[in-house]
Amino acid sequence: MAQPAIGELLSMLDSPTLGVRDDVTAIFKESLSSDRSPMLVNTLVDYYLETNSQPALHILTTLQEPHDKHLLDKINEYVGKAATRLSILLLLGHVVRLQPSWKHKLSQAPLLPSLLKCLKVDTDVIVLTTGVLVLITMLPMIPQSGKQHLLDFFDIFGRLSSWCLKKPGHVTEIYLVHLHASVYALFHRLYGMYPCNFVSFLRSHYSMKENLETFEEVVKPMMEHVRIHPELVTGSKDHELDPRRWKRLETHDVVIECAKISLDPTEASYEDGYSVSHQLSARFPHRPADITTSPYVDTQNSYGSTTSAPYSASRLMLFSTPGQLPQNLSSPSTRLLTEPLQATLWSPSMICGMTTPPTSPGNVPPDLLHPYSKVFGTAGGKGTPLGTPATSPPPVPLCHPDDCVHNSVSQAIATPPRKEERTDLARPCLHRQHHLPNDRGLEELPGNKGSVTLSDLPGFLGDLASEEDSIEKDKEEAAISKELSEITTSEADPVVPRGGFDSPFYRDSLPGSQRKTHSATSGTQGSSVNPEPLHSSLDKRGPDTPKQAFTPIDPPSGGADASSAGDRDRQTSLETSILTPSPCKIPLQRGVGFGSGQPPPYDHLFEVALPKTARHFVSKKTQELLKKVKGSPEEDYVPSTSPMEVLDRLIQQGADAHSKELSKLSLPSKSVDWTHFGGSPPSDEIRTLRDQLLLLHNQLLYERFKRQQHALRNRRLLRKVIRAAALEEHNAAMKDQLKLQEKDIQMWKVSLQKEQARYSQLQEQRDTMVTQLHSQIKQLQHDREEFYNQSQELQTKLEDCRSMITELRLELKKANNKVCHTELLLSQVSQKLSNSESVQQQMEFLNRQLLVLGEVNELYLEQLQNKHSDTTKEVEMMKTAYRKELEKNRSHLLQQNQRLDTSQKRILELESLLAKKDHLLLEQKKYLEDVKSQASGQLLASESRYEAQRKITQVFELEILDLYGRLEKDGLLRKVEGEKAEAAAAVAEDRLDCCNDGCSDSLVGHNDEASGHNGEAKTPKAYSSTRSSCGGRGAGGGNSSSELSTPEKPPNQRFSSRWETTIGEPSTSIPTTVGSLPSSKSFLGMKARELFRNKSESQCDEDGLTISSLSETLKTELGKDLGVEAKIPLNLDGPHPSPPNPDSVGQLRIMDYNEAHHEHS
Amino acid sequence: MSEDSQRNFRSVYYEKVGFRGVEEKKSLEILLKDDRLDIEKLCTFSQRFPLPSMYRALVWKVLLGILPPHHESHAQVMTYRKDQYSDILHALKVVRFISDTTPQVEVYLRMYQLECGKLPRSPSFPLEPDDEVFLAIAKAMEEMVEDSVDCYWIIRCFVGQLNTKHRDSLPQLPKAFEQYLNVEDSRLLSHLKTCSAMSRLPYDLWFKRCFAGCLPESSLQRVWDKVVSGSCKILVFVAVEILLTFKIKVMALNSAEKITKFLENIPQDSSDAIVSKAIDLWHKHCGTPVHSA
Repeated sequence: MAQPAIGELLSMLDSPTLGVRDDVTAIFKESLSSDRSPMLVNTLVDYYLETNSQPALHILTTLQEPHDKHLLDKINEYVGKAATRLSILLLLGHVVRLQPSWKHKLSQAPLLPSLLKCLKVDTDVIVLTTGVLVLITMLPMIPQSGKQHLLDFFDIFGRLSSWCLKKPGHVTEIYLVHLHASVYALFHRLYGMYPCNFVSFLRSHYSMKENLETFEEVVKPMMEHVRIHPELVTGSKDHELDPRRWKRLETHDVVIECAKISLDPTEASYEDGYSVSHQLSARFPHRPADITTSPYVDTQNSYGSTTSAPYSASRLMLFSTPGQLPQNLSSPSTRLLTEPLQATLWSPSMICGMTTPPTSPGNVPPDLLHPYSKVFGTAGGKGTPLGTPATSPPPVPLCHPDDCVHNSVSQAIATPPRKEERTDLARPCLHRQHHLPNDRGLEELPGNKGSVTLSDLPGFLGDLASEEDSIEKDKEEAAISKELSEITTSEADPVVPRGGFDSPFYRDSLPGSQRKTHSATSGTQGSSVNPEPLHSSLDKRGPDTPKQAFTPIDPPSGGADASSAGDRDRQTSLETSILTPSPCKIPLQRGVGFGSGQPPPYDHLFEVALPKTARHFVSKKTQELLKKVKGSPEEDYVPSTSPMEVLDRLIQQGADAHSKELSKLSLPSKSVDWTHFGGSPPSDEIRTLRDQLLLLHNQLLYERFKRQQHALRNRRLLRKVIRAAALEEHNAAMKDQLKLQEKDIQMWKVSLQKEQARYSQLQEQRDTMVTQLHSQIKQLQHDREEFYNQSQELQTKLEDCRSMITELRLELKKANNKVCHTELLLSQVSQKLSNSESVQQQMEFLNRQLLVLGEVNELYLEQLQNKHSDTTKEVEMMKTAYRKELEKNRSHLLQQNQRLDTSQKRILELESLLAKKDHLLLEQKKYLEDVKSQASGQLLASESRYEAQRKITQVFELEILDLYGRLEKDGLLRKVEGEKAEAAAAVAEDRLDCCNDGCSDSLVGHNDEASGHNGEAKTPKAYSSTRSSCGGRGAGGGNSSSELSTPEKPPNQRFSSRWETTIGEPSTSIPTTVGSLPSSKSFLGMKARELFRNKSESQCDEDGLTISSLSETLKTELGKDLGVEAKIPLNLDGPHPSPPNPDSVGQLRIMDYNEAHHEHS
Repeated sequence: MSEDSQRNFRSVYYEKVGFRGVEEKKSLEILLKDDRLDIEKLCTFSQRFPLPSMYRALVWKVLLGILPPHHESHAQVMTYRKDQYSDILHALKVVRFISDTTPQVEVYLRMYQLECGKLPRSPSFPLEPDDEVFLAIAKAMEEMVEDSVDCYWIIRCFVGQLNTKHRDSLPQLPKAFEQYLNVEDSRLLSHLKTCSAMSRLPYDLWFKRCFAGCLPESSLQRVWDKVVSGSCKILVFVAVEILLTFKIKVMALNSAEKITKFLENIPQDSSDAIVSKAIDLWHKHCGTPVHSA
């Protein structure tokens, strides 16, 4: 955007058309948001400084983040220049008051030090005042960062406070008032924010002598308007500079914090009570109006009746005729009016001029929400001794209209006496106190919800009227009625100024001051500086308002509307206005009232209530004030009055004067007016006025800023209250639920009880049943037992009977037995009888025999005596014979015994011998066994040997036969040769024929015998040798003998063996060789021949028998010979078994012969 | 009691520690000192313990009945035996069945044949299977016994015992063998069965020849100790043990011929262990023969 374009736009900014202005503003904002260069801002600032253009200001104040630095730089730049300092400070004030989002940067900006520097060095009061106000505005925004400039702040404070007194240069008094007010504000701010540091600063700074005066004159009065800061007790220098402390607090919090410690009603804030009352009115717009009637009436009436003071009247007038307010602007009574309007900071203690902390009306409003009983308790607890308890009754009825009306009434009645008893001073306080909530309640209702409450007001007031009867006295009633009639006449007045008031209000650029002036113009006759007429008018007017209020019919609806509108205006305007009178004025006013010689009806009450000193004080103040008001309000002020107050008054007076001048002169020639005050020279009158205006504007802006802070806080608190209310509601709902549940529980309990009762009843029934049944059972059991007993008895009886029967039976048996026995006895007896009879007979017989025998005995005795002598000799002979015989036998016995002994001994000996023999025998047997086994072992060995021998022999024979076989084959070949020797062979055959026969026989027999004999008698060796020697022959002989012994048998059968097949032929073929052998053994041959001959003979004769007999005979004869004979051949054969050929040949030959013989035979 | 007192009191501990045969010699000597030798005791002893080699011939002779139980007749009986031996030898020489060059084993065979009456007509006649068995045993025995008379007699009686006493039990041995092999190693048995080698195992070599020619004589005589003392079952366990010892090799072989061939020619080096194990196995299965005396 080009420069000229900007210039054009800037010029267009102030164009009269709204649309263009808006467009341009939009363009600027757009370019600001797009462009980050400081150029535009600088241009704007310059433009604003040049033209003081509102749209430019608007744009500048709403600058966004990136441009803040440029702006601040620019401002800083201009602050340095003395020419532009004021305007730039104004701009800064505007900017700061709007609390831009970058406000925290203020502390870091170079602007702050330069501002402080400016405040320290500048001498222009206007600049100083403006700067101080800006600084005060800034302080809560930068609480923690401002600490490094703390000393600067304090220095500034010190400088300016001294300024207030010393008036360096030619500063106008009027300016000083402003300066003082701002210093006062600074004091408050610094004390509120940094109490410890500040106090220490004060201590150090004013301990110096040169500053002592300043302290006495300026600072000390200021300190009267603050209470002890709690931080002074709990905090420390460091702690209050701690950023943590400030972090939690927002700007408005800081402001309120500062306001809290103020005792100055214009400054102080009782935000708690305030906010709650707000809330109250917001929540119960209708009800309070109706409900609070009775207490109001009560207090009102009592007030009105007892006092009917203009004060009360004027107050009542408040809600009905706010429009009339400007009329009383200059009069103290108006301050009474404005005071409650301002912030309900009215306190009886202030009335009394006491510096005790104000009774906290803030405590009351929360109680309004609570039921009466609670409130009562809390009210008592919270109430300050001065009369807060009394404040509690009014809120009570708010919640419980019906009950609390009377309660509150009684309370209201009851409390005053109580207060009276306590202190006289408390009494008026009490009345005021009562009044206070009323006022506030009524005020605020119109203030916030004006339209509603105001419409209700007539009804409410009517109620008041209706109820007042019961309490008021007749006299008071009459007074009121009289007043009402009076008011009707002047009723037109309030309406007129209202209209006049409205119009100029909109016209003025500076509403506060302008309006005042307008109201002043529209004001009635009270234009004079003299308060007397004001009072009179006030006295007249006071009743006016009640009248209007008490007669709802009278005021027109339009009037009511108008009043409400006016009220609203007043509310806004007054609250923001600088017209903040200190409560201290109230007694003064009253004093004025008293002093005016028109004692109000409650005057006597004050007489009683206020102590002498107080009254004196009041009167004195009044005098002073009068003087001040009349003369020069700016020249001096009572130290106890707040600078604000003074400023206030100044403005009012100035406004009055101005209006007067205006009424007098159509043209604003103010120099004339101000000369009347005797202030500054008329030449710079206008400039002064302008400056003053500026200052006032500044002040106004500052106050507005404060108001905004309050509003902010209010909103927040309201939110909290709403939340609390919601919780409350919720609680109530919960309680209801709880109640319902409790009811339920109750019901359940009741039903439970019922059930229990029923249950117990049933139980009882059951019990009774059970007991009944038990008793029945018992009875039955009893019966049963009885029956049982009976049956037992019967059984016993039965048994008795049975036993009796058995007994009887037994007896019967016994009797039977007895009978039988007796019968038996009888038979026995009869038998015995017969026996005895027979015995008697025998006895008789025996007796007879006895007799006979006796006779015989006698006979024999006689015979015996005759024969006794012959027998004795014979007996003796026999005896001796017997004795001899006995002796003989005895000796014989002895002999026998001896013999027996010996024989027994012998038997023993023999037995032992026998045992020995047995043992021996056993041993022998054992030995024999042993030997036997040994022998058998040997025998076995020898047998095996024998077997082996046999086998050997067999092998040999086999071999021999084999050889023979071979020989025969050879022999066939040599047959021719053999025929030659045939003749010789035949001769030999004949010769040996018989010989061989016999020999072979004998041999066989001999062999048999020998074998049989040798087996038993001969030693094994001999035996074996014979065996072995004879074996060869025996084999052959065996065959031949068997053949010989059984000649009947067919010979071919015998020789079916393989031996014969091979041997048969050769045996026949070699007879010659055999025949030669026996010749060598001539003796044997001879014998054999003999034997064989015999044998053959006997054989022919007697067969086998002869042979056996022959052998037997031979045995005996040739027993020994044979042994010898046998040995010889044995000796021949035994040692030479290998050449048995000749022998075997001989044998074979014999055998052969036998064969031949057999064949022949 | 007198026997026990004479025995070393440490014998019990020797056995416990594992020294076998330390005391056996002594106890055997005690046994042999008895005049009338207790054949049963000797039997039990030889079954329980290995015989010391110095007494082996004597004990065998006694057990086989070559010598009678009486010491007195030993000398005489021995002369008989000698006579018999020399007679037969002479006869054989006479009939020219043998000559000086004939191997001793054949001499023994001919003598035995002669004694049994089975001598063939000619030495050149082919040998019968029984004769082969005899030859094998004789060959083994020849190594064990030095004296030829003793040797002949022992062979003769040993074979005679096999032919008489064990005639019935020998054919049962293959079955027993299968049974014990199943107990010891069924897998091996199944392997043999799958190879159908069971029927073709060298039973003749094992049971008829009593491992003669299969095992070296040093270990064979320990087996024969048991056979002589009357137990032919030991043969079964020796066979089982041979199979167990050469199990891996046998398992590796798949055909019956190979197995049989291998078993007929088993390596000789481990025979001692085989025999020891076989005896243990035998004791395990048949129980240690109790000293019946």
